Amino acid sequence: MTRAKTLLAVTILSAALLWVFLEMKPAVKPISLRFHALVDGEPLVLDDMRYQNPGGDGQFKVRDFQFYLSNIRLTGPGGDYVLPDSYHLLRFDGDQPYTEIRLPAMDASAFDAIHWGIGVDPEANGTIKITGDLDPNNRMAWNWQVGYKFILFEGGLEDSEGFLPLVYHVGFDENYTPQSLPFAAAAESGEETIVRFTVDIAALFRADGPLDMVTTPSVKFDRDDAARIAAGFPNMISASQ
Amino acid sequence: MSKKFVIAALLLAGGAVYFLAGMPRKATTPLADFTVPFVYGHFQVPKENPLTKEGVALGRRLFYDPRLSGNNEISCATCHQQALGFTDGLKASVGASGVPLSFNSMALTNLLWGPQRFFWDGRSVSLEDQALNPIQHPDEMAQDLDALMDELAEDETYKALFDTAYGGISPEAVAMALASFQRTLVSANSRYDQYLRGEISLTPEEEKGRKLFMAHPDAKVAQKGGNCIDCHSQFLTSGFSTALDGFSNNGLDGEDGLLPGLSAVTGKAAHRGFFKTPSLRNIAVTAPYMHDGRFDTLEEVLDHYDSGIKDSSTLSPLIVEADNQPLDRRQRGQISLNLTADEKKAIIAFLHTLTDEDFLTDPRFSNPFEEEAGDDAR
Repeated sequence: MTRAKTLLAVTILSAALLWVFLEMKPAVKPISLRFHALVDGEPLVLDDMRYQNPGGDGQFKVRDFQFYLSNIRLTGPGGDYVLPDSYHLLRFDGDQPYTEIRLPAMDASAFDAIHWGIGVDPEANGTIKITGDLDPNNRMAWNWQVGYKFILFEGGLEDSEGFLPLVYHVGFDENYTPQSLPFAAAAESGEETIVRFTVDIAALFRADGPLDMVTTPSVKFDRDDAARIAAGFPNMISASQ
Repeated sequence: MSKKFVIAALLLAGGAVYFLAGMPRKATTPLADFTVPFVYGHFQVPKENPLTKEGVALGRRLFYDPRLSGNNEISCATCHQQALGFTDGLKASVGASGVPLSFNSMALTNLLWGPQRFFWDGRSVSLEDQALNPIQHPDEMAQDLDALMDELAEDETYKALFDTAYGGISPEAVAMALASFQRTLVSANSRYDQYLRGEISLTPEEEKGRKLFMAHPDAKVAQKGGNCIDCHSQFLTSGFSTALDGFSNNGLDGEDGLLPGLSAVTGKAAHRGFFKTPSLRNIAVTAPYMHDGRFDTLEEVLDHYDSGIKDSSTLSPLIVEADNQPLDRRQRGQISLNLTADEKKAIIAFLHTLTDEDFLTDPRFSNPFEEEAGDDAR
């Protein structure tokens, strides 16, 4: 073998080794948790009287939908990660088709499950301390004696008798719902690891049998009504590939 | 020079500008005695315009100086008078042209919190951006900015103040100074604040009004509510700061009479008739009320919310739904809070606890020219 050929072989081998090394090296990137809002599996369209009353006559529209997600934690073979001050207001009226929570740069492949609570845990719900997106002067605050709405849904229904306002403000301490979901990257870009979830609003009106929005057009401070909507929390968010 | 080098040099220069913009100016002093109640929450002062003693003092002087107007007769304080919670007591303000404006003078209180969009329709995204608009508006102060710069440069006091605070006279410096002064207009010693701090008790009527203010009604659990908190946050009593939550249609006009409001800014039909929810701090001294000053008294305001709401496609469902009625007695198409006369009176009593005499008479917010004249006379 000539000297030149040897040099070429060494270079190719080095490049191959470098490639293997880079491939094996965990991708430490910021993680983007992206939440896509749906109604019955279809992307949410705001302010459009297009959805069927789940348990009765008439069509409904969604004017505002937002909710709190708390205490995000990742677990897996690579260990545990607990996001500090983790109180997130998720809303879907922005310019993007999803709402995002960003986690710091980590190797996403070290984790296989994500855990959080839908709503605000009782301790945080009982204070007026500003942590994360919790703010006693925001729209989600009921007042300091009651705490936060966990889910805010406002809209309207139209049936043969005309217009009916819809107001579902749900959140007592007992409605706080911890949830665990599989955690896997949906996509990688040069800058971040993207993990996707869907939020199906229809789950709120189906858990305890289809809700007739005409007979129950609002849920606020009645605990049984709140529990009926909150029964849908475990089915609202799903991991999506 | 290689392309890479040029890019690197540009990045470095950009970084330096960014760094320097955030630096306090050489001769300025950070505002030392600026404290705010924790219940008001976080606030942000733009990095490029930190609160300094010199900037605030200059802003206060400019705020009260009629030379900011084209005819040298109208200052910011003409329409924003301290004793009236920085409003002017008029239905619609009248400026240089004598033509009444379309809108009611907005109170200037606790501007660091609540919606960080200014003007009733939210068209301005910062106090700096807002400040130069009234100065140039032909019906407000009708001033030419170049002419104003010349006028200010002829005044040795201004020259020195601008040099110290902002390194020279410019329209941007005028805006920054006015914004700084306005950020210091914090009202936090009303009877409501004293109550929140545990220093006093409210009277039974005020307490009844507070409870009504702070509640969305739910007849199912026998909770009466005045529904105020659905738009006015519990401590600040302002609109909400998140996204555009601090703007709403509060039923002043029906479908045909809806003004563009926020939709002129966002281009969204869903925002027609949306206006900024103002802070209710010092509300008892800021009559007349609403964006167009249509109501003279708080009684009229309460009557509006109780039984005067006009329906439209962008009216909040929270207003329509809040009827204090059990479902079986609800009648579609009828919008009313169904409050009693005593309940309305109680809410008004609570609104009076938001008056902060210290704020309305605080010498730090008063006319510095009068202060100087007083000093000269002594």
